[in-house]
Amino acid sequence: MDIRRRNNVNVTGRDDAPVLLLAHGFGCDQNMWRLVVPALAERYRVVLFDYVGSGGSDLSAWSEERYASLHGYAADVVDVCEELDVRQAVFVGHSVSAMVGVLAAQAAPERIGALVMVTPSPCYIDDEGYRGGFSTADIDELLDSLEANYLGWSSAMAPVIMGNPERPELGRELTNSFCATDPDMARVFARTTFLTDSREDLKSVSVPTLVLDCEQDAIAPREVGAYVHAAIPSSHLVTLAATGHCPQLSAPEATAEAILDFLESRQ
Amino acid sequence: MKPLTIDHRSTATGPVLRVAGDLDFDQAPELRRRIGLLPLAPGQCLVLDLSGLEFCDSSGITALLAARQHALAAEADAVLAAVPANLLRVLTLVGLDQVFTLRPYSDPAS
Amino acid sequence: MCRAGGVPDPAGNGAGMDAAFTALLEDSAEDLYESAPCGYLSTMMDGTIAKINATLLDWLGLEREAVVGHRRFADLLTVGGRLYHETHFAPLLRMQGELRGVALEMRRQGGGRLPVLVSAVVKHGTGGEPLLIRTTVFDASDRRSYEEELLRRRKEAERVRAEAEQARVEAEQARVEAERARAEAERARAEAERAHAEADEARRQAEADRTRLAAALAVLQQSLVPDSLPAVPGLETAVHYHTAAPDQLGGDFYDLFPVAGGRWAFFLGDVCGKGPEAASLTSLTRYTLRAAAHHDPEPASALATLNAVLHDRYTAGGDPRYCTCVIGVVEPGGEHGSVTVRIASGGHPPALVLRSDGSAEYLPTPGGLLVGILPGAPIGTAETVLAPGDTLVLYTDGLTEARTGPGRDDLYGEDALRAFGAGHAPAGPREVITALTGLLESFGEGLDDDTALLALGVPAAPSPTRPTTSPTS
Repeated sequence: MDIRRRNNVNVTGRDDAPVLLLAHGFGCDQNMWRLVVPALAERYRVVLFDYVGSGGSDLSAWSEERYASLHGYAADVVDVCEELDVRQAVFVGHSVSAMVGVLAAQAAPERIGALVMVTPSPCYIDDEGYRGGFSTADIDELLDSLEANYLGWSSAMAPVIMGNPERPELGRELTNSFCATDPDMARVFARTTFLTDSREDLKSVSVPTLVLDCEQDAIAPREVGAYVHAAIPSSHLVTLAATGHCPQLSAPEATAEAILDFLESRQ
Repeated sequence: MKPLTIDHRSTATGPVLRVAGDLDFDQAPELRRRIGLLPLAPGQCLVLDLSGLEFCDSSGITALLAARQHALAAEADAVLAAVPANLLRVLTLVGLDQVFTLRPYSDPAS
Repeated sequence: MCRAGGVPDPAGNGAGMDAAFTALLEDSAEDLYESAPCGYLSTMMDGTIAKINATLLDWLGLEREAVVGHRRFADLLTVGGRLYHETHFAPLLRMQGELRGVALEMRRQGGGRLPVLVSAVVKHGTGGEPLLIRTTVFDASDRRSYEEELLRRRKEAERVRAEAEQARVEAEQARVEAERARAEAERARAEAERAHAEADEARRQAEADRTRLAAALAVLQQSLVPDSLPAVPGLETAVHYHTAAPDQLGGDFYDLFPVAGGRWAFFLGDVCGKGPEAASLTSLTRYTLRAAAHHDPEPASALATLNAVLHDRYTAGGDPRYCTCVIGVVEPGGEHGSVTVRIASGGHPPALVLRSDGSAEYLPTPGGLLVGILPGAPIGTAETVLAPGDTLVLYTDGLTEARTGPGRDDLYGEDALRAFGAGHAPAGPREVITALTGLLESFGEGLDDDTALLALGVPAAPSPTRPTTSPTS
């Protein structure tokens, strides 16, 4: 099987440098990293990919059985590492992907040497003594809206193409990425993302880890970042002066700088 | 058709075969086979006790003749004992009463 | 900003139109903002709401004081809307400075969702730095309903199409199944026809085999008994042959033939066993007797020759085979046409003589033994004269051994036969044979053996030679 084609693998940056593996979260694809890639590529070899079922991946390789669990997405990460023969890579995962990185490091410890968790959440639903940011009812509503209003979601992006005179290629790619996603696959990813409780898996992390959260994040509140940091003894927490759940888009310079600082400090 | 039964008994003077049932075209070969396997010493007497014989046709008579011949070949004698009246009539008719030694009883002592 | 000039009078005259136009001109900018048919809100760059119009507050059921300075735009959205806002809307707006017509969902106070289309623009300061975000919100309920209806109809259409496809597939499967079953049935039918044809062929073959075998048996049977008796001057003859099993060769035999010196020889007998082995024995017996009778017309001599031949051929080798037989020679030339008959018998039932005076008597041949079991076996002989009206009857034991009585456990016997003969005497050979044939028929199932009958006699009154009869069987 051609893993590069299956996961739409793109490699950039310095050939001789350590590898940064950038993994997108739910509802997006590798374009989410577009604004931070130039700064990271100056010093590192940057590997970008799409999970099967997202972006430019080979949708024919998708199976509900495999991708109804975060382990299926972690298997994609391991496949990409083996295909490129990557060792001791720095895995940079956004949102739910941060937890995928934890599972990949469990499955193939020789492949993952460090973790950067960008606005991670091991569990989106509030629990006793834990604030994930959403009630069970919220998640049900979210899944319902995905279920019932997919037309609205996809059509919501259509105007972006026309309203993007300055950087049309960005809008088009984002739109294409979103629109290309098969509704059934997106629903499975959403269920997997929002219904999985991976808090126990945090205990397994022993590699150096950077936890990045934002001052204002409507998806993963700061309590979650603190929780992740507390659960991983080898972690370092940086709170970006940024709003939103996607600092790599809303504050790309600060995000890249935090990642680079973390990497430099390891050397 | 009554099944043919052949009981073998050894006595001081020789073997006694009690032949009962129907001695016909289908069953007579069995008597010939049994007699052919019978060891006979010179001077012995083979007794065929026919008291239980229900029917005997020409194939049966052939078997009796074969028994006689087998005995003679071994320098022994053959005796028909307790021959039923019907068979005796037929034997007489065809002259075999002169050929076979006939006895009223199978006991060699009598 | 009131009365911002330059608005032309669309009609130019008419008091009613003037009043409306006046009201329009007097509409304040503040009122235009607050009561616009769309929602307006302005936020700080972090989303905190700084200004919101009454229309939007009204749609969402919110109080201005609870919102301004306290809530961010994302807080007004449903969870799905918020997720989309965080992952797409806000980053894109920040990058592009403008977004138009994005579909989101807002949360109404007290439950319920408001589908909206949102446009936003970032207002920049004089130095180009982003200052705040201006957002317009259009009620997209109707559009959403329309979309939902479209979606519903599309799903319905897809469902119907899927059902139709499913029905088509099922129909196709049923058709294939039916075709398969039809082919199966056709195959089974062809198979059955083939088997039927094979069975027919086998039956035809078996029939042909049986016919051929019957023909062969008939030919063979004729070699064992003559198909007709020769005419004998001064004698009348008759014969009957009853075969117990039509498909099996008979074990009885007879013959009548001329020998040297104007004499005639005849014989009749019964070989042991049945089937092909009996037939071969019969054949040997018949031709031995014919040859021996030619060589030496004395009946006892011919029988002795037969005895020696059978004994050498079979019994001496440990395979006893034998026959009963009566053979005779007719010496013509007696007074008034009478003939002298000399007979020899080996183990055969005695001949019966029906006299012209109405009596019947046996012609005993005592001492005769089965032919072929002992070398030099004793042979019984007898002699008699047949005067005109006398008839000599030879028979095999099928006649006297026939089972009679209610239980079929009595034998017909020699006494009954003699009485039967006496009852018919005097009688010529054909008359006797006819009577005896009737007797055999009367035995029915009781007659289970082959039976041969041969009668010869001197006609009661001198007469020309009569033709002989053929076997009646």
